Amino acid sequence: MNTPFYKYGAFGDETSLVVAFVIGIGFGFFLERAGFGSARKLVSQFYLNDLAVFKVMFTAIVTAMLGATYLAWMGVLDLSLVYLTPTVLWPQLVGGLVLGIGFVIGGYCPGTSVASVATGRLDGLAFVLGLPVGTLLFAEAFPWIRGFYENGSVGVQTLPGVFDLPYGLVVFAVVLMALGGFAGASWIEKKFQPR
Amino acid sequence: MRHWMSSLTLNQKLAALAFVLGVVAVFAKPTGGGAVTIDPNDLARIVETEVDHVDPLDLADWIMAGRADYRLVDLRDEKAFGEYHIPGAQRLLITDLPDAGLPRNEKIVLYSDGGIHSAQAWFLLKAKGYTGVYMLLGGLDAWRDEVLFPTLAKNPTPYQQQRNEKLTAIARHFGGQPRSGAADTEAAPQIAAMPKLELPAGVAAPAGAAKKKKKEGC
Repeated sequence: MNTPFYKYGAFGDETSLVVAFVIGIGFGFFLERAGFGSARKLVSQFYLNDLAVFKVMFTAIVTAMLGATYLAWMGVLDLSLVYLTPTVLWPQLVGGLVLGIGFVIGGYCPGTSVASVATGRLDGLAFVLGLPVGTLLFAEAFPWIRGFYENGSVGVQTLPGVFDLPYGLVVFAVVLMALGGFAGASWIEKKFQPR
Repeated sequence: MRHWMSSLTLNQKLAALAFVLGVVAVFAKPTGGGAVTIDPNDLARIVETEVDHVDPLDLADWIMAGRADYRLVDLRDEKAFGEYHIPGAQRLLITDLPDAGLPRNEKIVLYSDGGIHSAQAWFLLKAKGYTGVYMLLGGLDAWRDEVLFPTLAKNPTPYQQQRNEKLTAIARHFGGQPRSGAADTEAAPQIAAMPKLELPAGVAAPAGAAKKKKKEGC
């Protein structure tokens, strides 16, 4: 068995849409079960009294990372075939900031807004309707912001590559970071519990 | 020992598991680009099922739709490439192919004049462990006959009429011209020169230059 399945031609373009749909349903289901269909739950992380978002996301990252590492070690997964988002420094910094501001103000990020619509929330619906509008505005404005859009493009970057460290050591470091983060998060939550 | 274990919460057990896996991972040797094993049976299956082919009309569709999720490689020499190449193609001699550093996680479509060079290059890349390698079916010859100068059906049925219109639109898009009907099988007019490389705006963007953004994230 060789993976990634799609890259090894286990299924074609059409089937990949079905696979994406099934994975998307699963993703949405677990977002909702983690409580991320509710803006209240999501913004409590900014009040520091409920850091579930941080914990869930970091858990997902560590789980996926360990899974990918071990599958690659066993020779089942070819890591060089996994798509990596290229780094474009400045636009990604600004984009992250814009997303963060929108998250604080509106209470959702793109994925969670869809999960909240699925549970019938109207504030989530406003978000989801805003997505195509923003996309359209971006597309229309693209000729003017193209220069910035490509500013600071440094191609695909990975932590082992940037720090020139062995792959496994970075994996271990990220696990330590996560465990430390979880302990710290629990401590912060207790400290900022509303009285 | 048992008592100590059972006093841990589920979260603590999972954290401990992650820690252990993390420690072991320090010694992990991820694969990728290293040793490649070639399975002749697997190669034979791919060849037999023809899943490694890209039809010229499909490629034309991709280019017209502005898809950027593939890399088109022209294996001919500089002179031939300068005279005509498929929009978006990059030129690479077969001798340069192994060290060209083509990304392994992209779909690579190879073409040459006929099909032989691209088939040989296909095996070469397969031997280097590339997986997403495809050949343009029939090479540039087929591209010319099916995309640039397609033969339209004579006295078409409504279905064929539709197809004729589509073929005409595609041919014009790439600067070609459809040929009509079976009559000219005898004295097929020598196909005029390949179209000039001044292509309609928007199709000549080389693959990789303007990559489409992939959607990811939370």
